[in-house]
Amino acid sequence: MANKSQRPHVGQRPSVVTSAKRGGPGPKFWVALGLIVVVGIGALSWQASKPKNVASRVDPTLPALKAEGHVMGSPTAKLEVIEFADFECPGCGQFATLTEPDIRTRLVNTGLIRMRYMDFPLSMHKNTWDASFAAGCAGEQGKFWEMHDQIFANQDKWNGEATSSPQKPLAELAGTLGIDMTKYKACVDAESPKAAIQATLAEAEKRGVNQTPTFIIGGQMVPGAVPFDTFKKLVDAELAKTAAGDSAKPADAPTDAKKSATPTPVTKSQ
Amino acid sequence: MLAALVALAGLFVALYLTLYKLGYIGTLACSVGSCEAVQTSKWATFLGVPVGAWGVAYYVGVLVVALAGLSPSMSERIGISHLLVVMTGVGLLFSLWLTYLELFVIHAICQWCVISALLATTLFVVSWLDLRDVENLLEQLAEEAGESLRG
Repeated sequence: MANKSQRPHVGQRPSVVTSAKRGGPGPKFWVALGLIVVVGIGALSWQASKPKNVASRVDPTLPALKAEGHVMGSPTAKLEVIEFADFECPGCGQFATLTEPDIRTRLVNTGLIRMRYMDFPLSMHKNTWDASFAAGCAGEQGKFWEMHDQIFANQDKWNGEATSSPQKPLAELAGTLGIDMTKYKACVDAESPKAAIQATLAEAEKRGVNQTPTFIIGGQMVPGAVPFDTFKKLVDAELAKTAAGDSAKPADAPTDAKKSATPTPVTKSQ
Repeated sequence: MLAALVALAGLFVALYLTLYKLGYIGTLACSVGSCEAVQTSKWATFLGVPVGAWGVAYYVGVLVVALAGLSPSMSERIGISHLLVVMTGVGLLFSLWLTYLELFVIHAICQWCVISALLATTLFVVSWLDLRDVENLLEQLAEEAGESLRG
């Protein structure tokens, strides 16, 4: 008996003990277990069935883009797609390496659309500004898109998880492009593209962009690394609208088309 | 008993995090939000497998063992209780490590990861209390058996 008084908890939780003695839990346990299964499966399927890339309308009253970014494609293309992206974002890397090649061959090179890349460096990425500088400086020598591709394909060589001094691996990537490296280094050291990047950043904030990549396809704003089929569907819908002579044209597209058509530099069309 | 329920809830949380990481739920994107920062960091995979998938395996394991522990045989029960404490202890340590990474390395908090960490903590506490109960019960039974022999 003296032993028992030293272990008062024996009596405090009889349920565990008695249920073990009696040989298993009662029906309440199985009901609770079943409830968790039902709720869990329900919540998961609800999450999975939600549309992944929810497009929202671009506010048509927004002023046209002031920042230029970088353009690929024909100035006479019917539609311009604007991408806000962060070089260090894995989602952007996935889009650039897996989806963008298809977009270039099927939509850009065929003259249907033109892509405009807008830097949107996120503060959570340590090395993304260096990458934006590197791309901008390669762009000064007409090789923005080549550098863009190198940077995204090799994110793991220069990102914040790989190194705290990204300039060296980025310069190595730039070295493969056959550009003047003295000029490139001077440009990177002077952070020459900074003002242009800040301008594209401001455009993103003005449009309420809060994740990367985000695409503005005509009058639609679509977040996330959309797969090619989704991208194509959105493009087709906008092209159909243009073809139908939709008078309520989105704010960005027409003014940008004008801008790109003028011979003023900034952008490197290829 | 409670351990099985908590493990089942944890299983769904881990399943959600895995599906999210693999891109079946939501979109892989970088956002000002914290969950994306955590899920796209290099610590979101462990030995090449998404951390959420490790969680799924862990919760399934605990669930199976806890359900096995519902069997009436006492000789099995003590072994299972020991196993559960070891398993949930490892789970707790791993969760602590992940929470440390979120707070002090990634500097972002993913709410479902925190919920999983809380569930893992609960599992350990529940398993530990259960082990104490089973041990005490065994002692009590042994005492009673001794008394009845003497008597």
